Amino acid sequence: MKKKLITLLLASALTVSALAGCGGGSDSGAASDTAAADSGSDAADAADAGESDSADTSASNGEVTDFTMFITMPGSEINSDNEIAQMIADRWGVKIKETWLTGQTAAEATGTLIASGEYPDYIDSDDMAQLVDAGALVPLDDYIDQYPEFKETWFTPEEWEKFRQPDGHIYWINPFGNTMGESTATTHNDEAFWIQVRVLEWAGYPEINTLDEYFKLLEDYVAANPTMEDGTPNIPYTILCEDWRYFCIENAGQFLAGYPNDGSVIVNKETMTIEDYNTSEDTKKYFQELNAAYNKGLIDTEFATQTYDEYIAKLSTGRVLGMCDQWWDFAYTVNDVFKQQGLDEQGCNYVPLGLTTEEGMVNRWHTYDDTVNQASGVAITVDCKDPDKAFKFIVDCAMDQELHDLRFWGVKDVDYNVDDDGLYYRTDEQRMECADTSYQASHLCQYSYMPQWGGTSRDGKNANKPEEQTSEFQNGMATPLKNCFDAYGARNYVDMIGSVVETNGPWFPMYSYSNNFTTDTPGGVAWAKMGEIKHEYLPKVVMGADFDTAWEDYMAQYESCKPEDFIGEMQAILDTFK
Amino acid sequence: MARVKQKKDRKVTWKEIKRQKSLLIIAFFVTVYGFIFYYWPLTGWIMAFQNYKPGKGILGSKFVGLDKFKFLFQDAAFIRVIRNTFCMGVLNLVTTTIMAILFAVLLNEIRSTIAKKLVQTISYMPHFLSWIIVTGILHDALSSTGIINDLLMRLGAITNAINFFAHPKYFWPIVAFANCWKETGWNAIIYLAAITAIDPSLYEAASIDGASRLQKIRYITLPGIKPTIMILLLMNIGNVLNAGFEVQYLLGNGLVQSVSQTIDIYVLNWGISQNDFSLGTAAGIFKSAVSIALIVICNYLAKRAGEERLF
Repeated sequence: MKKKLITLLLASALTVSALAGCGGGSDSGAASDTAAADSGSDAADAADAGESDSADTSASNGEVTDFTMFITMPGSEINSDNEIAQMIADRWGVKIKETWLTGQTAAEATGTLIASGEYPDYIDSDDMAQLVDAGALVPLDDYIDQYPEFKETWFTPEEWEKFRQPDGHIYWINPFGNTMGESTATTHNDEAFWIQVRVLEWAGYPEINTLDEYFKLLEDYVAANPTMEDGTPNIPYTILCEDWRYFCIENAGQFLAGYPNDGSVIVNKETMTIEDYNTSEDTKKYFQELNAAYNKGLIDTEFATQTYDEYIAKLSTGRVLGMCDQWWDFAYTVNDVFKQQGLDEQGCNYVPLGLTTEEGMVNRWHTYDDTVNQASGVAITVDCKDPDKAFKFIVDCAMDQELHDLRFWGVKDVDYNVDDDGLYYRTDEQRMECADTSYQASHLCQYSYMPQWGGTSRDGKNANKPEEQTSEFQNGMATPLKNCFDAYGARNYVDMIGSVVETNGPWFPMYSYSNNFTTDTPGGVAWAKMGEIKHEYLPKVVMGADFDTAWEDYMAQYESCKPEDFIGEMQAILDTFK
Repeated sequence: MARVKQKKDRKVTWKEIKRQKSLLIIAFFVTVYGFIFYYWPLTGWIMAFQNYKPGKGILGSKFVGLDKFKFLFQDAAFIRVIRNTFCMGVLNLVTTTIMAILFAVLLNEIRSTIAKKLVQTISYMPHFLSWIIVTGILHDALSSTGIINDLLMRLGAITNAINFFAHPKYFWPIVAFANCWKETGWNAIIYLAAITAIDPSLYEAASIDGASRLQKIRYITLPGIKPTIMILLLMNIGNVLNAGFEVQYLLGNGLVQSVSQTIDIYVLNWGISQNDFSLGTAAGIFKSAVSIALIVICNYLAKRAGEERLF
């Protein structure tokens, strides 16, 4: 009897714990469901409000359609009652609820969408090929043909062809990399070894051309200035290694060797062959340099374990003197914070250095032509409520200057002013406000993954984006940054890095092909495995007590992934351009 | 025993069915539920033998036989994740079980009811925290400026902060520690219940015979809860390969991935991220098969040893 009682007790205890376990699981599921439902209804509410508003102001435009958009990048959501989003909705009849990557990797997020079979209206993912495989995207060919003007201006026929998938359809449109009229590029929107201007200023603006000199300068600076003005210790160099952003550690070798950003491989233009930069001498030397710097204590000891958010937070304090990264990966957030905190006046702004392995080599860090990355872009999914309207909005974004100005400049007389010559400008106050995150959430609405232009606007005077407006750029610069540019005789970031002006081959960039490799081919499997090995071993090589053994370990592991399969498939792609 | 046999022999009559119709209806729903949620999803195992493409569906995908399994077992990374899963599972099982028993026994020795209830309540609280919070706390506590490093430096045990998440050797202990911290109080509840069921007269008799506290624990409490321990161990051994997903996923990073990745993370990486559902399914099947085998073997061993068992 007693035994039975115990068993009964046990059984019930177990059931309870099991139930609790299940309950926990489904609870969190339910919570996220309701959260999603909430945000959905918020958007719907806002839309309702929008409709009643627009009924008064612009009755002709009809109703507002709410679209959802998922972008596999981290980003900040704007408020559901965002003012400019509402203006756009009133005028163009479309309001987009953007959601961004949180907590997952880009590939996981896309895979989860595919597994669930439910898609947002618009999607911009790094794994477009998988979405096509899953039958998730609407072919856009017919829609594109409906707007001949857009078709002509947005891409050249050759560029459109690059987007055509093996099944003959075009599914997505890359929203970036188009320049209208004369290029006004002031930023180096590419990868570089960055350094804070205060370091250069301290050293009397020396010429820094090699990695050697770069680390020497950091070492000297930190020896003389161990802390910032407020006593926070300086971190000479940090490296972001998280997920796909590990390019910050991974691909500098190709640039140091003097090649442009093909991303996953080097293209030798003379022999038209694909070369593997992972095993090249330049890359080995680069890691040797990093390893030496690490063992000297110049590199942040937590670099290998930091997340992107932690990295950005670290940069935002102004403590980090240098790193290798893409401009778009850090500058927008970090520069806004610098401005808000007054760190830009302390010389915390980063400038790019066009480093190479040896003195006197040509550097190709900066890409002058428009880079069309055909691996990703904005797409419309099969679940889209109204693909016609959704596509029309994509076209509007690209073709309607008024909409473009509203997205990037903001509201006239509120976010920018127009002088007598018709030039747009911002006051210091406006500039400060636009750098404020809460203002960005409540007022500004860029729809930053919708088509957009660089260069000069259709009015022939203004830049399409404020940061490219020469006067804006000049006036927005903090004094130390300006002094630095002056010292090097540079007008802007592009001059600063001083890359050779050159047109890239039609295959450029090769990463747009490798990004869409799947594990269906041996090359794709090799590519996936190489990525995993590099994620683990590159930080190990940097942290290794003995560089040579660490490098040999890494190479042995690397070879076991059969990189030759990958290189072979990339060569086959390159051969189509011969 | 005899009565059971008699029941079996009895013929099923309409009258009998009618009499038990409410029971049958309940049983019907449970059966349907079980079929839909436990057996029907198993048809998805077909994917493991295909080159499954979500766009084509199960019917349209190409059949590839055992190719996916071949790929799995030729992949050194998969062998590594099996090792990781197994080792972390065993480590977790051993530490959490020992800690829970120890805790339950100690708690049982507390005389004041209020103190006992208080400690018990507080100690099982962490069970209700989600892993994201627990790993957040761990991340902070173990960071270079966190409490652990701070403490060690103040005590003079180390001179430079240790980056705990950068060294593979620390990873398994950290995971085991996190599991212990989170589940000890909760797991102890069952053992406490089992201890309460022990006949108090045994303790009285032992006291009269002059047994010390430790002796009472050794000769009465522990043998008293032995069946419970055995049953729980058996059930948990089947769960060894469920060594966890969230902890390793949230605490892991590139540097320690060779020891941090479990089968579940492997399935996520290949099945969801690389969109190879087939490979993910194959890995999942392997995991289930091993789990079932483990349970059967342990059950058999328990039977041999004359202990309490599941089936």
